[in-house]
Amino acid sequence: MSEASVIHDIGYQRYSGPRLGRSAVFGAIYIHGLRAAYGLGRSAKSKIFPWLVVGIVTLVAVILAAVRAQTGLLPLNYIQFADAMSWLIIFFVAIVAPELVSRDMRAGVLPLYFSRPLRAADYIGAKVAAMVTAVCGLLAVPQFVMFLGAAFTTKTGMRGVWHELGDLLPAWAYSLLWALLFTGIGLLIASLTGKRAFAAGGIVAVFLMTTPIVGVISILHSATAQKLAGLASPMSLISGVGQWLIPDASTGIFVGEFGPVYLIEALTLIAACMLLLLARYRKVASL
Amino acid sequence: MSTVAWITARGLFGRRRALLLLPLPLLLVGLAALCRANNIAPSDWGTPVIVGLGLAVVLPVVSLIVGTGVLGSEVDDGTIVHILTKPLPRRDIILAKLGVAVGVSALTAAVPLFVAGWLADSVRLGLGLAVAAAVGALAYSALFLLLSLLTRRPVLLGLVYILVWEGLLGRFVSGTRVLSIEQYVITIADKIAPTAILEPKVSVPVAVVMAAIFVVGCAVFAIDRLRSFSMAGETS
Repeated sequence: MSEASVIHDIGYQRYSGPRLGRSAVFGAIYIHGLRAAYGLGRSAKSKIFPWLVVGIVTLVAVILAAVRAQTGLLPLNYIQFADAMSWLIIFFVAIVAPELVSRDMRAGVLPLYFSRPLRAADYIGAKVAAMVTAVCGLLAVPQFVMFLGAAFTTKTGMRGVWHELGDLLPAWAYSLLWALLFTGIGLLIASLTGKRAFAAGGIVAVFLMTTPIVGVISILHSATAQKLAGLASPMSLISGVGQWLIPDASTGIFVGEFGPVYLIEALTLIAACMLLLLARYRKVASL
Repeated sequence: MSTVAWITARGLFGRRRALLLLPLPLLLVGLAALCRANNIAPSDWGTPVIVGLGLAVVLPVVSLIVGTGVLGSEVDDGTIVHILTKPLPRRDIILAKLGVAVGVSALTAAVPLFVAGWLADSVRLGLGLAVAAAVGALAYSALFLLLSLLTRRPVLLGLVYILVWEGLLGRFVSGTRVLSIEQYVITIADKIAPTAILEPKVSVPVAVVMAAIFVVGCAVFAIDRLRSFSMAGETS
């Protein structure tokens, strides 16, 4: 803007520093989202629920590592650990997703966000990345604790550590898949309402109501229906993918020859959630 | 008092919000009908559908959404001030809101449970489940209404109760069942219509007395909390 275009100079200073672009806004939303997920930088009250979940999950991992170190038994492997924590992950998603997206709608700050050089895809991308990191960290860190416990007490030296690492890395990929799917579904539901309470209730309702469907389909007479039963619920869907890709995971889901179907549905579901989120934010001011 | 009830009902059902309560009951009836149509023995599907979905998910989750919605959403909006400044006894406000919450959640949970019980066994089981669901809705609504006055995050605390206390601890730690509304509902339904589908784990007197204590205790405590209620802005 040239000086000539100023009609009346009321003495405000102009900003002459560097102008940060989209990537900086993306990074800022990502960092802010990650901190908000764990209640960092917020009051003590909003730290209670996320850290309660983190505390329980870590405690279970420490107990498992201790049991293994003392007795040599393996109560749960890394993948069964992720499955066993599924209820806590649902609860964590129900805490974090409304915190990330419903708050912004409620406070009516979305027009402010989108008046910056920021596109809907950036906003969603940053929120999704923050939440995937948060959920993945919730699982990966306790799994790493279990790994450390196993690695320091191994009887076979370096070879045992390598073997353990070979178990840990697929389990991390598995946790990432959990995080991606649960983030997609959770954020999509939370983006429909500005009320955090309703969003949390809705997320839990969706995850809980799908579990009995699996139970019912798996008692149908047809053998094909029994193998496809896991497709009905996100939790058993992920378990099925894990069972197919890592056969010795023993997740308890029987997929038979339909393993690829499970993987395709998981990927389609993640992609569909992201696209629907994009569509949701094409036109949004506040709710 | 009727005006408060009317406003509350309008707040719950305004625009399309009532539709959000539909999927859970429809799913329950749909699964029961699917099993019935496939000629599966009721002893196989009765427990997962009626207890696993109906009594452990539909009833508490519907009661949670409705029970925290009647008062919690007004606290969130700040519109509770308009009711509090009217010359109404706090008792009437709580009772009106509790009445609406119980009515809506009892209707939403009891009708599909009646249908599922009827498909599984007999009209008697259906009626037993419906009556027990109504009692459960009363107890759950009173508890969640109280939670929405005690804390700013009533839904999360209610979810902790449903998922952790009733879901996880109720399964492994037998002592927590005495304080679990789900177990009272199962016991009462089994008393009215004894079947193999329901496995009561607490005695009938305990279930009835504890349910009554839950309702009266939570309602009285909620009235007391509303007497000294202080508004706060959106923090945390």
